[in-house]
Amino acid sequence: MMIGRRILILQKRSFSSVRRILCPYTSQTPNPNPSPAQASASFRSAGSHSSILHFNAPYIAVNRSFFSSHAVADLPVGGIVDVPLAQTGEGIAECELLKWFVQEGDQIEEFQPICEVQSDKATIEITSRYKGKVAQILYVPGDIVKVGETLLKIVVEEAQVSTHVSENPTPTQEGLKNIKPCDSELTKNDICEVLSTPAVRNLAKQHGVDLNDVKGTGKDGRILKEDVLQYAFQKGSIKDPSASLTSASRRQFLGGEEDNPHPSGEVLWSYEDKTVPLRGFQRKMVKSMSMAAKVPHFHYVDEINCDALVELKSSFQSTNSDPDVKHTFLPTLIKSLSMALSKYPLMNSCFNDELLEVILKGSHNIGIAMATSSGLVVPNIKNVQSLSILEITKELSRLQQLALDNKLNPADICGGTITLSNIGAIGGKFGSPLLNLPEVSIIAIGRIQKVPQFTVDGNIYPASIMTVNIGADHRVLDGATVARFCGEWKQFIEKPELLMLHMK
Amino acid sequence: MANPSQLQAHKIGAPLMNQIKLKGVPILQQLHLEECLLRTSSHNWCIINQGTNHPTIVMGVSGKPAELLKIESVLCDQIPVVRRFTGGGTVVLDPSTIFVTFICNKDAVAGLQPYPQPILSWTGALYNKVFQGIGDFHLRENDYVFGDRKFGGNAQSITKNRWIHHTSFLWDYEVRNMAYLKLPARAPEYRLARGHLEFICRMKDYMSRSEFISRTIEAIKTHFSLRSAEAESIETSASFAGIQVKPDNKEFYSIGERLNIY
Repeated sequence: MMIGRRILILQKRSFSSVRRILCPYTSQTPNPNPSPAQASASFRSAGSHSSILHFNAPYIAVNRSFFSSHAVADLPVGGIVDVPLAQTGEGIAECELLKWFVQEGDQIEEFQPICEVQSDKATIEITSRYKGKVAQILYVPGDIVKVGETLLKIVVEEAQVSTHVSENPTPTQEGLKNIKPCDSELTKNDICEVLSTPAVRNLAKQHGVDLNDVKGTGKDGRILKEDVLQYAFQKGSIKDPSASLTSASRRQFLGGEEDNPHPSGEVLWSYEDKTVPLRGFQRKMVKSMSMAAKVPHFHYVDEINCDALVELKSSFQSTNSDPDVKHTFLPTLIKSLSMALSKYPLMNSCFNDELLEVILKGSHNIGIAMATSSGLVVPNIKNVQSLSILEITKELSRLQQLALDNKLNPADICGGTITLSNIGAIGGKFGSPLLNLPEVSIIAIGRIQKVPQFTVDGNIYPASIMTVNIGADHRVLDGATVARFCGEWKQFIEKPELLMLHMK
Repeated sequence: MANPSQLQAHKIGAPLMNQIKLKGVPILQQLHLEECLLRTSSHNWCIINQGTNHPTIVMGVSGKPAELLKIESVLCDQIPVVRRFTGGGTVVLDPSTIFVTFICNKDAVAGLQPYPQPILSWTGALYNKVFQGIGDFHLRENDYVFGDRKFGGNAQSITKNRWIHHTSFLWDYEVRNMAYLKLPARAPEYRLARGHLEFICRMKDYMSRSEFISRTIEAIKTHFSLRSAEAESIETSASFAGIQVKPDNKEFYSIGERLNIY
């Protein structure tokens, strides 16, 4: 359905533009290579730079296309044409876009190469079927594009022969298969010069309304849904706008006089299934969690008394004179984690399963799992062993802000050696976290809850208790190591003065 | 420019293909040459390079080192890493790898559609002739295998009017070199859960180098009229390695002139 497709594109745009700002989460460490190697057709790196320039313009342009004054069925009769990804041969369902050879505003010739894509083993140049001007580019390098999806839009010159109609099914109501309306109907409503959205055109078609006869009450004389319904009602096409679809509506769609109305496309559309292609962080999560699931995990659970931590945080807050700094529990937890890691370096390592080697990492780059609007991301604070709690607080705040704005860069996301997942910030007692490979341990901390505890002589007192769940790679770590490590960390949290003992 | 053998070829009707035979040319140079010929020449080419001079890791066009390589070992052992202009996966190449490359105009082979799958089938059929009766050879997904073990990896690039299909054949390999590669996120289905060393095999267990090359040339001759290019001028062209590859740079023509291989 055209409406669905257009909106889907809008959603895709936001994902892909988000991903591009992050300067692919996918391209991690820079190529350690000297320049001659880069010369060997690393066009992608050039491509990805130019793509960042693109994303702003298309994002706005997508909105404009909703109000196009052009043909719904993408007939190039002097208007904007959707150019799909084709020319890949059979058996290929999707490709990765590698680079653009054109940009918005460029004049292009028929058969001119417009972009390069990759499918499996092959890079393929895609050429333009039309002569015209590039109106809008819908994907950026690195995006996965399904064969048949629109790659870009071109403003074509008058009277170009169209081979396009068969590829773009005409818009349909849900419940109907792809029906081509008879030519006269298509021509009448599609080549008219009125301003309206595809959804409204659709609606007009269903009610056999000629948009040229409808008075638009929207901006610039735009015809709105209400205008069409109003006109149809007055004309007598609609008796009861809320009646359901019948098979007779098929004829109605073809423009015949019909007494059986059916509701507008938009009302029905909202109950349809919605396909959400996974992009960016979500796509990355599919891959990383699938790999993590192959690792034998075990989970160690413990409770930590956070009374001292709560007091410490209040103390930090009360003596805090910097309005930009907000003290929370995490920085202290992070610093004490680093202290414990110094004693148990195996917890801060990476496992090479082919060589059967464990690399004990020198730096404590502690990753903090964050939930952003684009999905789960784990930026890390580098070299915690050398940072003070205040420095950790500031760095954490910086990363959190970047994550919220979706502006984290690859350096922030790579190089982590252990991960902390503060699921307690949202709620819950504790989680059962999956490893963030190639790390060997991950710690999920639950919410600090005030619960009753017993003293030795049976008296009840309140205590702030936090439950932690440490997920560990059982190929590398055993229960004893993790238990001892957790005990060490717990000590630093329950008795923060011990941090001073080890202060350098 | 026309010589008697060219006229002969045209009389028979088989399209002309220029053949370049190299030995020990660094893979980066070979890739430069291939891309140059793909983008600027209008002839058909076959390049056979027996080995690259130094163990080198070559990734596909969108390869990401962090995902595909054990970077610390690679850096420690100073293994060069190259990104090629064709798709596909990561390989470790060394002096015992044999490279065979086809660069063709899209209408060079009658009836062949210039898309990945048809080209893969056509080259697969050609190698079927080469390995006829030897070791249960087939094209499996995108690889050349004996049985279920891969010995040849393929990659392609398809432009507006031409295509390239190149293969690296593991005539032999060193186990320690294979250790630089991680298990890729995308692997062919037939690999199943096998580690790399259980997945690949050596061509030398099936055929000698010279026999492979002569059989390959014979198989090519059933489709093309082969003409040998001046090999010496390619190998000794010192300036070749220093030339930057740019897609629309006129320097490509100067490479051709220097190498005398139009």
